[in-house]
Amino acid sequence: MECRELTALALDGKLADSPGPIREKVAAHAERCSACRAQLLALEDTWGRLGEDPDLPLTPEFRRRTMALLEDEMLRARIREFVPPSRRWMRPLLEAAAVVVALVAGFAAARQIGPPASGRTASKTASAASLPENLEKAGALANVSYRPADPQGRIGVTFDVTSRETFLGRPDDPQMARLVAFLVSRGAQTAGEKSRAIDLVSAHYGLKESPASPDIVLALTNTLKKDQNPGVRKKAADALAGFRMTPEIRAAFLDALRTDRHPGVRLVAVEALAAAAKDSPDQKTIESLREKAFDPAENGFVRAKAASALKGIEF
Amino acid sequence: MKEKPAGADDRALIERIRLGDQDGAGELFERYAPALLRFADRLLSDRMLAEEVTQEVFVKVITRAHQYDGRAEVSSWLFAIAANACRDRRRRDRRANVVPLEAVPEPTSRGEGIEARLLSHERRAAVREALNALSEEQREALVLARYHGLPYSEIAGVLGISVGAVKTRIFRAVETLKARFHEGETSWNAAN
Ligand SMILES: [Zn+2]
Repeated sequence: MECRELTALALDGKLADSPGPIREKVAAHAERCSACRAQLLALEDTWGRLGEDPDLPLTPEFRRRTMALLEDEMLRARIREFVPPSRRWMRPLLEAAAVVVALVAGFAAARQIGPPASGRTASKTASAASLPENLEKAGALANVSYRPADPQGRIGVTFDVTSRETFLGRPDDPQMARLVAFLVSRGAQTAGEKSRAIDLVSAHYGLKESPASPDIVLALTNTLKKDQNPGVRKKAADALAGFRMTPEIRAAFLDALRTDRHPGVRLVAVEALAAAAKDSPDQKTIESLREKAFDPAENGFVRAKAASALKGIEF
Repeated sequence: MKEKPAGADDRALIERIRLGDQDGAGELFERYAPALLRFADRLLSDRMLAEEVTQEVFVKVITRAHQYDGRAEVSSWLFAIAANACRDRRRRDRRANVVPLEAVPEPTSRGEGIEARLLSHERRAAVREALNALSEEQREALVLARYHGLPYSEIAGVLGISVGAVKTRIFRAVETLKARFHEGETSWNAAN
């Protein structure tokens, strides 16, 4: 056996596991080669010393915290599965759900939006200005679908009340904004339906698009505050993060950061608050971020994000 | 300690997670979280960051379960995600390479005299400091080999490098450590 071979073997850390004959050869070599003997001893010592570094134990608290996070993530994964970006919104499943109010969204401009064909009666198109005075009393809106902006920039919302109706209007048309706010906030809808209504807001309102009306902001802040589904709350937070920061929105984010159970929602809140505080730092935001950055019970992502956000804010 | 149980079992777990089975995620956590936590701790020397990385690995498994093609061992996949996350962390907040003492947990040392305890604490801190002094690349390879018993071929898979490169990194790491430990010993003896 050569010195080189011995070193290679020893470095593999496999000496102890190697077959008897090889170990014998190594021993024989080390016996007569002082350099290798010293090398082997040093190596053994080094390997052994490394063993003195204690393993970091996994605490029950960490296990509990992580399991809760994973539970939420699984839920979100399922929501993602259920609400794909655009492709499968015409699923037969939805079409068949005649009793369930099905809210169907699609923003791909090329895609022809259509309601489920069965039982469809005469379809009317009207401007958003002719919306019923009292949307809440208009009865159950069924089969809601959205139409992407036409050349005049008007988006369309179609639904069944007594007959199938389509309302057209630019996003900044107050009546259209009212309708959109209603669609976000109305009760008795599934997480998927609500998500799609929020998608509509994200697609058409924001800094670069039309500013969101107070109605829409209120609908979203209420959703962020009260919706049972973390995926929906996060969607609402994402939509709000796309708006210009206002005292109402800031208050909603501060509240979410303090009380929302889902770290993903809190993370969006941190990001949105930090982004706004960069331009105009406000005391409450800084205090909340500081609290989060040092809160040992807080999720690691959120804590780290809060800490780095603080670094980016000029005091 | 061996962290490579039956691969088929692991793959079945990933499939369950892909289908939304909550218990599947729990089982995978129990199986790998302790090892991933130790791995991240030895790369980052920071409990909070190590916990964060460990969480990130499992979150990624959930969001990317459909991307796992089954070619690599699940354990390799997890270690690879963890190694990447650790690199991100180190890049993001380049902290000084000092070991916060709380990062070196104190084992229960009943019956030991205070001097012996100080000595062992000192020695343990020295090991961690030596690890911290290695380059990121050397450290990754060495930790996988020494503390997780991964064969070189699997380390190569985790780090996306050749087996030859793994050997070189470990060789250099051991050389550095050897020199360092020796030096430490001398000064400790001299101090007495
Ligand atoms: Zn020799």
